[in-house]
Amino acid sequence: MAVAPVDDTLTLAELTRDPYPIYRRMRAETPIVKVPAANRIFLTKAKHTKMVKDDPELYSSDDPVTPMRRAFLAHTLMRKDGEEHRRERMAMQPAFSPKVIKTDWADLYRTIATDYLDRLPRGETVDLFTALCGPVAARILAHILGLDEVSDADMQRWSQVLIDGAGNFGFADEPFERSDAANAEMDAVFDSLVPRHRAQPNNSAFSVMLNAKDPIPMSQVYANIKIAIGGGINEPRDALATIIYGLLTNPDQLEEVKRQEAWADAFEEGVRWVAPIQASSRRVTRDLEIDGIDIPEGVTLMTIQASANRDEDLYEDGEVYNVFRNKAPHQAFGSGPHHCAGAHISRRTVGEIMLPMLFERFPDMRLDRPEEVVWSGFGFRGPLNLPVKLN
Amino acid sequence: MVEVTFVQPDGSRITVQGETGASVMETAVGHGVDGIFAECGGAMMCATCHCYVDEAWAERTGEPVLGEEDMLECAAAEQRATSRLSCQLKLSGDLDGLIVHLPEEQA
Repeated sequence: MAVAPVDDTLTLAELTRDPYPIYRRMRAETPIVKVPAANRIFLTKAKHTKMVKDDPELYSSDDPVTPMRRAFLAHTLMRKDGEEHRRERMAMQPAFSPKVIKTDWADLYRTIATDYLDRLPRGETVDLFTALCGPVAARILAHILGLDEVSDADMQRWSQVLIDGAGNFGFADEPFERSDAANAEMDAVFDSLVPRHRAQPNNSAFSVMLNAKDPIPMSQVYANIKIAIGGGINEPRDALATIIYGLLTNPDQLEEVKRQEAWADAFEEGVRWVAPIQASSRRVTRDLEIDGIDIPEGVTLMTIQASANRDEDLYEDGEVYNVFRNKAPHQAFGSGPHHCAGAHISRRTVGEIMLPMLFERFPDMRLDRPEEVVWSGFGFRGPLNLPVKLN
Repeated sequence: MVEVTFVQPDGSRITVQGETGASVMETAVGHGVDGIFAECGGAMMCATCHCYVDEAWAERTGEPVLGEEDMLECAAAEQRATSRLSCQLKLSGDLDGLIVHLPEEQA
């Protein structure tokens, strides 16, 4: 029995800049540690993060003080447990299933990918992060959700505004003013699309939810679409940018990936290496103990999957990108009831479609100055730019 | 202990001993059987532990539980009458000798 050690000096700014050396030290010295700057107890070992995610009775997603509720103007499925969560999630899951991806979306995704690759100039240095990764993620998501009419720019802006609001732990006014405005815009657009989806039922998430035999309330349909916007652009965008960086800075691996067509492995290793969603919160529902450390009821734990994915218990040399490492399950998509609903889609869109098409189109592209790539983020992480010479 | 045999799509077989009360998924993962991913850890949220119960055992394993059918429809491989999520198949003495077939793909 012991209380968790406290890391008084660690700041969110340090974690945002480069959390990985910090997590490595935590795994070795203080795997369960209180971080006052985040007002959370961090769990940095894979066995602990998985245990917590897999047990929603002891570790609830329902956080009564989450800024997410204020940002989304709704209690969303991300913060629900049990049957309530399952019902709302299953209402849109069919739109994300491998079968529907195959029958409805795969050809469309290839067309979109071709279209966005066609726009890239040859022989110049282009920031692939803003010119490709973000827009293509937005376009694909717009179709999956049934928001075909919405522009890439609006999709990306709404997503960022929702994320900023959901991460507004200090409850400052400004981020919520922006999320309120975005909510009003989204609601108006959703209202305008209801007649189309009712008249022409299709496999988009919006249509599937609207036309279900036993539909969930309209307020939750809207909330689900918003969660998917907030949670469905950054991750494929950052995953794609991270993997491109990993391959271009490891040319020997890139050659081998091309030879074996090991794009799926390149994808899995990329999201293991730098998980686009690095950390999640769970509220402890009763006094308990994790590995000899007292954890009081009501405390919020932060499962650091970014750290779990480099845990020395599972990975040799986990700090480096290595497509051909010994396989071990990673937690980039989480675990338990809230396991990422977009896992199948991201594997197919990023792993099976975007990566091979990009490297086929620009077989000699180069990242001449990898040191200019800026990485950032504590909750969400990825490169902020990717200046690649296309030829 | 309960004996379970996993048959890979290429026909190769591995037989392991599972604990009574454990799920077929847990038994597979615990023994490092390829082809069961179980990404959601048994929460019936991912359909990456999909298996086909051998015809001879299908009656004894019974019907999918509430909600399982919906998730099976999201599985990567073809859904058949014998499709189950292996996280929902609990081992008991009745199932000693159980044979399950693994699909071509899970994710």
